[in-house]
Amino acid sequence: MLGRGAVLSDPEELLVYESDGLTLFRALADFVVFPTSAEHVSAIVKLANREGLPFVARGAGTGLSGGCLPAEGGIVISLMRMNRVLEVDYENQIAVVEPGLVNLHLSWAVGPRGYYYAPDPSSQQACTIGGNIANNSGGPHTLKYGVTTNHVLGLEVVMPDGEIVWLGGKTRESFGYDLAGVFVGSEGTFGVATKICVRILKKPQAVKTVLGVFDRVEQASAAVSAIIARGLVPAAVEMIDQLTIAAVEDAFGCGYPRDAAAALLVELDGLAVGMDAQVAHIVEACRDSGAREVRTARDEAERQLLWKGRKSAFGAYGRVSPAYMVMDGVIPRTKLPYVLSRVNEIVGAHGLRVGNVFHAGDGNLHPNILYDPRKPGEEARVVEAGAEIMRLCAEVGGSISGEHGIGLEKADFMPFIFSVADLEFMRRLKQAFNPTGRCNPGKVFPTRKSCGEAGPVAYRPHPIEEKGLAQRF
Amino acid sequence: MDIAVLDKLRAVVGPTNVLGTVELAPYVVEGRTPEAALVPGSVDEVRAVVEIAAGAGIPIVPWGGGTAAAVGIPTPQPGIVLDLKRLGQLVEHEPGDLTATVEAGMTMAALQSALRARGQWLSLDPPDPEQATIGGVIAANASGPRRHLYGTARDLLIGVTVVTGDGVVVRGGGKVVKNVAGYDLPKLFVGSHGTLGVIVSVTVKLRPLPDDERLVAVVFDRLKDAGAAARAVVASDLIPNALEILDAEAARALGLQSAEGPGRCTLVVGFDGVREQVEWQCSELGRIAAQFGGHAAGALPAEAWPRLASASRDAFDAPAAVMRLVVLPAAVSEAIEQGTNAARQRGLRSAWSCHAGVGVITAALASGAPPEPGPIASVLHEWRALAKAAGGHATLDWAPLAVKSAVPVWDDAGAAGRIMQRLKASLDPHNVLNPGRFVAGI
Repeated sequence: MLGRGAVLSDPEELLVYESDGLTLFRALADFVVFPTSAEHVSAIVKLANREGLPFVARGAGTGLSGGCLPAEGGIVISLMRMNRVLEVDYENQIAVVEPGLVNLHLSWAVGPRGYYYAPDPSSQQACTIGGNIANNSGGPHTLKYGVTTNHVLGLEVVMPDGEIVWLGGKTRESFGYDLAGVFVGSEGTFGVATKICVRILKKPQAVKTVLGVFDRVEQASAAVSAIIARGLVPAAVEMIDQLTIAAVEDAFGCGYPRDAAAALLVELDGLAVGMDAQVAHIVEACRDSGAREVRTARDEAERQLLWKGRKSAFGAYGRVSPAYMVMDGVIPRTKLPYVLSRVNEIVGAHGLRVGNVFHAGDGNLHPNILYDPRKPGEEARVVEAGAEIMRLCAEVGGSISGEHGIGLEKADFMPFIFSVADLEFMRRLKQAFNPTGRCNPGKVFPTRKSCGEAGPVAYRPHPIEEKGLAQRF
Repeated sequence: MDIAVLDKLRAVVGPTNVLGTVELAPYVVEGRTPEAALVPGSVDEVRAVVEIAAGAGIPIVPWGGGTAAAVGIPTPQPGIVLDLKRLGQLVEHEPGDLTATVEAGMTMAALQSALRARGQWLSLDPPDPEQATIGGVIAANASGPRRHLYGTARDLLIGVTVVTGDGVVVRGGGKVVKNVAGYDLPKLFVGSHGTLGVIVSVTVKLRPLPDDERLVAVVFDRLKDAGAAARAVVASDLIPNALEILDAEAARALGLQSAEGPGRCTLVVGFDGVREQVEWQCSELGRIAAQFGGHAAGALPAEAWPRLASASRDAFDAPAAVMRLVVLPAAVSEAIEQGTNAARQRGLRSAWSCHAGVGVITAALASGAPPEPGPIASVLHEWRALAKAAGGHATLDWAPLAVKSAVPVWDDAGAAGRIMQRLKASLDPHNVLNPGRFVAGI
């Protein structure tokens, strides 16, 4: 059906696909297949249905919630060979791409003509647009430009019964129910996207990046509020705490003052006219909130260096801890000071350390709990602390995931924010797309059956880490 | 309606909130009168009403301001209208979070004025803000000119509470601006025209009010020049918040004298931001427009904003039909040109306006004298065909039932339509919410 070299079934080779970026969860597929067309995907899905096998789509495997794991075995459909940019229409500012295209490669493809693709997850050098669709991925610049769903106009989808259907299209608006809108973020449980039509944006005329340095975390939180209160909508507002600053400085030397309690990275973009005045507003907001230093990048090189500190934070944790677990939660912006202090208390109470690097502007927290998997019992404490942090996010009116998804990891936390009726309604929605449940079973809903190995297991490095091919990010 | 059922409904909402006979006049759509109209005062009352009606097999028509009540096919069996006007409170507005939670029956005008008092706004500007309610705007996916920059309801709605067809309260999304937990239920209700649930409250993203805002009009002698100018603006560094093209008929409805004359049309562009940004952009626009033969550039008063979205339908006292054509943005001027010719060939006048940057066109067709349904239906068929040929689709936004019986309201949704039918069957299994009104017979 697929030709030679497009099917893996050797247990050794299957190991590579037994986890995603969250190595706490593992599940082994029976087969991994590499289609190159929608017709291939459709044929695979029909075969899976005939054989009664579950199936799940997989992109680059950078997900952080176990969403692409074959929780009940079956077929992993890797979309990495479907990685072409099929069409770019600059006049209408749209592009049609295949799901295996690496996120950043789209911006590279349209960059020479002055365009880019806005959603920019931290893993954008590796993650795929198809994976972004599954998780409705965000990134630092979603504060101003929105998340993946705000940029997707339509998708060609192989439905869980194998039918190939377009949801939405190339126009800015479709009619009937917003099927493309509900498909995005459905974590691979509604079907497999095989073509995606996205909006591409014109690069802004001007970009300015400001670094605010604070002696207290509360001051940095106050600065976020002060920026909002001044009626400014920055492209990004990122916060980095002391532990993270120290790790980044040790690793890369990006010029953050290593004794600071918190740093705020604020980016403005838009028209060149009026930009300096807006920068002055940001500087003022930081100063008024007690910043001890506020620095504006003078040129592109300095701007890149400031961002490098933010973007390489995850890699830098590797220098200060043998392992860490990335959490993802959202809170109302105004609850930031309270929640950050509570997060530190919770993690401390479990005898662990936490580094925070996150999208402060939209209240999307990423506490990273550092631990040593070789110490008995430490991993269990990480999982406990993580659950408490999720409960905290729910208590203050937030959400248990801003961009990493529910997957396997947080399925049992869904009742923190949704009632039985809410979940039942979602189940009925799933039923309409995926009546047999064979498409990516075991995800999103708190119905944790015993499903093979899919459950928290002791930390082991990812197979490709073991081979020295990649490090965690 | 069965008297026992009516008694039960009265017991729930109180007798004064059950309207009948002459009080039903505001709820008559296309000559069809509902059996009763109920005005519940709480989410729990909505829930109880739906439960009773669903149990008795009576269709439910959720009602906001009634501004989009004529969209689609009226339910074949007269049901009960559920008017949400008593659910009209701003529940929560936390400026620091840039979010607000609002009951569905609050009008857009009331909501915007409450938000404005604290320096913020909901960046959604549909027509008829005095009547249209936030719940109705979301259910109808209504929008206005500022969607060019700020998007539509789908980009702004972050949480929704509905009462389902089986009388259960369901909440989707949440109160935070970024959230991927669970399926994106808010998307499901945007544009669903009350067929999947009765929206009782919503949580939306807000924006700070801009310091300054201006609307500029430039006149072109040929439609294709205006189209080319609009495309040049889109490709430039400018960041307009609105980009509209109006033909001579629509420009007349807006009171733009200079734009009258055969073949003439007007490009209307909005800018917001701090003052120097607005000024720089206005002058840049003048430079770009001049390259394409634009002339008579001038500022429009702020009062023109709310009338832009309805300029083409306001062109005629009693239009025969209003159609919405969605095409690729670069194709708008050609579509308008062809559509105008199609009407003219049948001896009919038409008025056109569009959100040029997003490719959404509204066309109104004047009744002939005497009005004959044949030519009207033919023109509408041709308009739909040209939208399709341009890779888009068309919706008959408004027309008398006689015309709707000859021209489908919606395009054939094909395979996607079958998914929509499954969705409706799964989420409203007793088919009580606005049955028969929507796409694919839903």
